[in-house]
Amino acid sequence: VRRPIRVTAGFILVTLWFAAVNGWRMLGLILLFSMVHELGHYLILNWYGAEICGFRINAFGAALEVDTSNLSYGEEILAVAAGPAANFLCASLLALGERQKWNVLIGCNVVLCIFNLLPLRLLDGGRMLYLLVAWLAGPQFAEQCLRWVGVVSAALISMVLLSVIWSTKGSFWLLPPIAGILLTICREVQENKHFL
Amino acid sequence: LWMSRSYSGAEMSRLSLNQIQGGKVVAVGRRKRKSVAEECRMERKGGVRQAKKDEQLSAKERRQLLQLVVCGSIFALLVAVKLLLPGRAAVFNAKLSDALTRSVDVKEVFSVVGRTFRGEEEAGELYQVVFKPEQKEEQQTEIPLPESVAALERLQQYRLLEIEAEPEEQQPVEENTEKQEEVATLAYVLYSKENIPENVSFEQAILNFDYSTPVSGTLTSDFGYREHPTEGEDRFHYGVDLAAEKGTAIQCFADGTVKAVGDSSSYGKYCIVSHGEKYSTLYAHCDRISVGSGDSVMRGQTIAAVGETGVATGPHLHFELHQDGIYLNPIYYLKSA
Repeated sequence: VRRPIRVTAGFILVTLWFAAVNGWRMLGLILLFSMVHELGHYLILNWYGAEICGFRINAFGAALEVDTSNLSYGEEILAVAAGPAANFLCASLLALGERQKWNVLIGCNVVLCIFNLLPLRLLDGGRMLYLLVAWLAGPQFAEQCLRWVGVVSAALISMVLLSVIWSTKGSFWLLPPIAGILLTICREVQENKHFL
Repeated sequence: LWMSRSYSGAEMSRLSLNQIQGGKVVAVGRRKRKSVAEECRMERKGGVRQAKKDEQLSAKERRQLLQLVVCGSIFALLVAVKLLLPGRAAVFNAKLSDALTRSVDVKEVFSVVGRTFRGEEEAGELYQVVFKPEQKEEQQTEIPLPESVAALERLQQYRLLEIEAEPEEQQPVEENTEKQEEVATLAYVLYSKENIPENVSFEQAILNFDYSTPVSGTLTSDFGYREHPTEGEDRFHYGVDLAAEKGTAIQCFADGTVKAVGDSSSYGKYCIVSHGEKYSTLYAHCDRISVGSGDSVMRGQTIAAVGETGVATGPHLHFELHQDGIYLNPIYYLKSA
């Protein structure tokens, strides 16, 4: 029997490390707005009547496992976009208020929205890229496209994160995510040597 | 169990399989149960598959053994470094823990992103916060509050007066007057409550020598601001007070050389011992001092006796620890009675 909710060791490591350095409040905030993000996905999926098989929590965040076989490309793109859109909506609503304290909450939502739109296979941005290209030019080309964009952007992101570590002479809690990103690059290249 | 599995994994699995079939096993881990179930399935499918499974297992176990060896040797190496080079290991440890706690100010980053989203901030500010946090901190510390500036000036004036006034009150026992002046101006100086004096550090320094508690007494006054026992004002207390019976032996904190022995109106009979070039300790309000300036002393050696000379309300040792003229909090290095 498959467990409906799976939490990886990577997630626990990153969470505890992040909380130890940045405090439990920041962690709580990020987890709360991640839930808003997932809720966005869930509402649209529920609207279209898709079956949700499970909930996976890893070093990159939470992910819904969905049976998308009966969704059209357009519907799935909408469902994938709903997560970042939920965060953007949340940020916009908070920005209506005048309170300066809410800047942190708005920032958290905006960061989550942008982070999820990065074109990596594991993130919403990557999935949207795949779906869009597959819709326009077919799944095989989409797969190839996602692979290259993913590898290049993963390399860029890990370089940016490494330079944050370098310039702050700290922030080592970023190391597990960087390792995760580099591992995905390796896996992409390893599994698909014929594309090189 | 883990080690034995590394050597004879197949046997172990078969053993646990038998145990399960016998219905005797009470607690088997979920993962284990799963693997046993898999094996059970494998066995049903025939001997060839079983042999293949054994091979896979041993490959996995070889990897685990390798991991154990690598982790074990890293552990052994670190223990060896700690035992053979304790000073360096401590310094490395301090650097590492410092680096581990330093981080991008995530809250500040979110706040700046939020302000940018509202259109109140340029995107360049974000770069500043993420990549150049030190510069931002410097900018902030350059503009102190006006109140504290005034307070600091007052304090500096007070200190200057104190420097001029102190030498007259002193009745030096030894000729080492230069040192005594320095000592007399160091303690019992009035400071505003908002400021920690600039020559004080609350951080725990790592001492690269062995040390012991000079007197096993009761801690009656801590390092930091306190109401002065005779003057009634809040003043910074540059050491710790350990109350003990008059005449109790004061043992030297660490190996070193007696730098000065003196008598001051505030400190009473005191002596200063230097430990290497950087560190020195001060023992004040003594009843008598049994060492002379220039003497070599050992850790634990009796150098004085507890008294209540100078400004004191009872017999106690006023103990200070200095690092290159900075007052450290001695409490980290003392054992309570």
